[in-house]
Amino acid sequence: MSNVFAVPVFFICFRECLETSIIVSVLLAFLKQTLGPESDAVVRKKLIRQVWVGVALGVLISLIICAGVIGTFYTAGRNSFESAEYIWEGVLAIVASVIITLMGAALLRVNKMQDKWRVKIAKVMEARDTSSLPFSGRLKRWTEKYAMFFLPFITVLREGIEAVLFIAGVGVGLPATAFPLAVICGIGAGALVGFALYKGANRATLQIFLIASTCFLYLIAAGLLSKGVRNLELDAWVKIAGEGAVEAGSGPGSYDIRKTVWHVTIADDAGSSGGWSVFRSIFGWQHSATYGSVISYNVYWLAVIVGFLVMGYREKTGRYPLQKAKPVTGDYQSESSNGHGTQTTDEKHQGSASGVREVPA
Amino acid sequence: MTFSLYGIFLSIFWLPSLVRSDTVTYDFDVGWVYANPDGAANRPTIGINGKWPIPPIVVTKGDQLVVNVKNSLGNESTSLHFHGLYQNGTTHMDGPVSVTQCNIAPGGSFKYNFTVDQPGTYWYHSHVRGQYPDGLRGPFIVKDPDSPHKDLYDEEIVLTFSDWYHDLMNGLLASFVNIANPSGAEPVPNSALVNDTQNLGIKIEPGKTYLFRMINIGAFAAQYVWFEDHTMQIVEVDGIYTEPKDAEMLYLTAAQRYSVLITAKNSTNANFAFVGSMDQDLFDVVPDGLNANVTGWLVYDDTKDKPAPKEIAAFEPFDDFELVPQDKEGLYDKVDQSITLDLKMDNLGDGANYAFFNDVTYVHPKVPTLYTVLSTGENATNPIIYGSNTNQFMLSENQVVEIVLNNNDPGKHPFHLHGHAFQVVHRSEDEVGAYSANSSIISAFPKSPMRRDTILVRPNGNIVLRFRSDNPGVWLFHCHIEWHVASGLVATMIESPLSIQKQLFGKIPQDHLDACTLSKTPTAGNAAGNTQNLLDLSGENKSPPPIPAGFEARGIVALVFSCVAAFVGMAVIVWYGMAPMKA
Repeated sequence: MSNVFAVPVFFICFRECLETSIIVSVLLAFLKQTLGPESDAVVRKKLIRQVWVGVALGVLISLIICAGVIGTFYTAGRNSFESAEYIWEGVLAIVASVIITLMGAALLRVNKMQDKWRVKIAKVMEARDTSSLPFSGRLKRWTEKYAMFFLPFITVLREGIEAVLFIAGVGVGLPATAFPLAVICGIGAGALVGFALYKGANRATLQIFLIASTCFLYLIAAGLLSKGVRNLELDAWVKIAGEGAVEAGSGPGSYDIRKTVWHVTIADDAGSSGGWSVFRSIFGWQHSATYGSVISYNVYWLAVIVGFLVMGYREKTGRYPLQKAKPVTGDYQSESSNGHGTQTTDEKHQGSASGVREVPA
Repeated sequence: MTFSLYGIFLSIFWLPSLVRSDTVTYDFDVGWVYANPDGAANRPTIGINGKWPIPPIVVTKGDQLVVNVKNSLGNESTSLHFHGLYQNGTTHMDGPVSVTQCNIAPGGSFKYNFTVDQPGTYWYHSHVRGQYPDGLRGPFIVKDPDSPHKDLYDEEIVLTFSDWYHDLMNGLLASFVNIANPSGAEPVPNSALVNDTQNLGIKIEPGKTYLFRMINIGAFAAQYVWFEDHTMQIVEVDGIYTEPKDAEMLYLTAAQRYSVLITAKNSTNANFAFVGSMDQDLFDVVPDGLNANVTGWLVYDDTKDKPAPKEIAAFEPFDDFELVPQDKEGLYDKVDQSITLDLKMDNLGDGANYAFFNDVTYVHPKVPTLYTVLSTGENATNPIIYGSNTNQFMLSENQVVEIVLNNNDPGKHPFHLHGHAFQVVHRSEDEVGAYSANSSIISAFPKSPMRRDTILVRPNGNIVLRFRSDNPGVWLFHCHIEWHVASGLVATMIESPLSIQKQLFGKIPQDHLDACTLSKTPTAGNAAGNTQNLLDLSGENKSPPPIPAGFEARGIVALVFSCVAAFVGMAVIVWYGMAPMKA
């Protein structure tokens, strides 16, 4: 299965595409709101087209970069990594795991994500309003004119490159055939959810869907961390055992027996095609587990548990555990209790952001 | 240029036919010397009487041989095995430590004393774990006044071929049987030697016929051997006279011997190279710059130059299976006892790579197996008492014994049986798998199979050997690649134990028992040294345990913990995610 569908890649694409969809939906809603039905239909159409062109171009360029990175890796790059392949894979997997972990939580607060982009876009718009000074250069005028293009273009590009980097981290070691389907499905699912958000779909359903996705994302990240640690250990082992470790395939000698917690060979034949690969992709299952890989897996979950508990506690009480309750000041309110925390902290943008705030989500 | 030392030596000792038997005595003081036979590394080497190369042992058929060994190594134990000698009635003189004797500890002495009643080309070497490649190996020649070929040649010349390491065996063995060498890659020799030197010149007189006794005394590498523009006529293989057969190239595995007749050219116009070329198929990784060849010359004229050997297109050695013994001994077609040995290489719980017969890797017993035979009375016929890691097989007296060896390994292995020469009734090609006795194979058995004591089995192939158990004793059957002896590719044939008792009970010489005292080795009881309850093997030497398959307790605990952690983690995510999301 992992030969044709890389589950981690799917989730990363899903996550990044969802964020992109939110940006687009915020922008579209913004245009709808500010330009109202009374404004010039031609101007509106033009601006909406700018948004879509920006999105399309951003997606296109990230796809090209993605293809380029992966293509380079699987042709020329592969050999030059070979000697340090385990280190390379291990470090990238650990980095990817950390990044997925940090960004994954945002999926659970998709409304916050929307809010964040509303504020950001509002800021940009506000800046445009106030910067029409006489000596603005031609370039500035030009970018201003096409702001509705550049905004989505740059954000999409940024999300896209981010995705490429994550995918590179997650996907090292996967066959090239595992990417296309996962990328397409991830983008499709992300766009679908983004569209549902825009259309104001059933929140409860969406919430369950997003929770489930997040759980998977964290399972993958836990597996990645564990795999990363395992790869670093493998690198150390290959340095000890040399050629023999490589020759041994998955049999005895392919791993350091002194550090092994379990090693099953029953599944070797099914290896990349059977149900094991689902376990491997989603749950980070490894036929050969070491103290390092098992401990890192458990420590990861411990950290995630503590992290979410702290965040939840803070959202509920407005302070960290062990911190003394602060009196609620004017510019600080509990972020999640009203779901509009970000906006209230950005009081000064209220004027320009007001239109955004009233957009039906 | 080095002229053949052995050739000169032998011509001095060449005695015309003698009917009476003599006692030939050698006093060997075994100790460290420095040697640099390939000119590339001066290394500590095990010599005899302060010299290396060590002297050949030369006796005449029927002689009584006495070898007084004194161990002056200081830091290593030793022993001597006389490779290919049947030791009929004297199994205690065979030499392998922990099998028929105790270690000769530093400072100890030991007397080997037996009658040599078989002609031919043999060799002697240490039979302590991995020791002989450090230098303690040399030719053992038994002259035969009644040789059927004695009128066919004018002179005889001994040629030893050997691989050579620059490092000492102890260090190499430690890194070979090691977790850092999980594939069991054998150390690759640094060079090849002929008569313990290189660029050897052999003085040849035109028109004469020479008997070349060729011995591979190496640790590991088999060698292809050829003489440019001279055809070899094989007349003896591992001490067995054969019908003369012509060969252009021979393949000598470690421990194999051939005697060949080479007739010199009539002119002295040129000198001719001969080459020993190590079989690099055996090497896991061929190091850059390894010269696998050793060259020598048939020197017809000292003043003429010695040409570099010509490149050859391919190695096409003579197939020794075609040889027919001169006595035409018929095929043993009625087998009384068949032993199947499945060879494999695998890793054990210490992570190192070991070699196995039937899933058991050899670990020497605490009590030498012969002494167990002699100290256990009627129980000596019970295989259990010999331990669980000795791969022991009990052979009844005067039976036709068949050994079927299936090589489930992609390497070539030269197998050697102590105490016997065996008929080679079948040898498969590469990659045939296990032997199956179908009628087409059986009908293809030779009428008079070649006999020898060391035989090559091909990669993932098989061999079928037969012999008559007419020689009571404790005989090892093992791969003669010294690395594989260390990693356990050894079986113990315990032949007619009750007859051994009749021959030798109470007759083990005192110096043999003294060696045991000095090396603190028990001399009675089962493999574990228990003399009361012979079936109680507690405390015996055992191989490391196998690598645990799949899940042990720690694996289950780890997996349960991981699952619990993941589920709790996801529960927390759900709790956090379900917090009211206001739009």
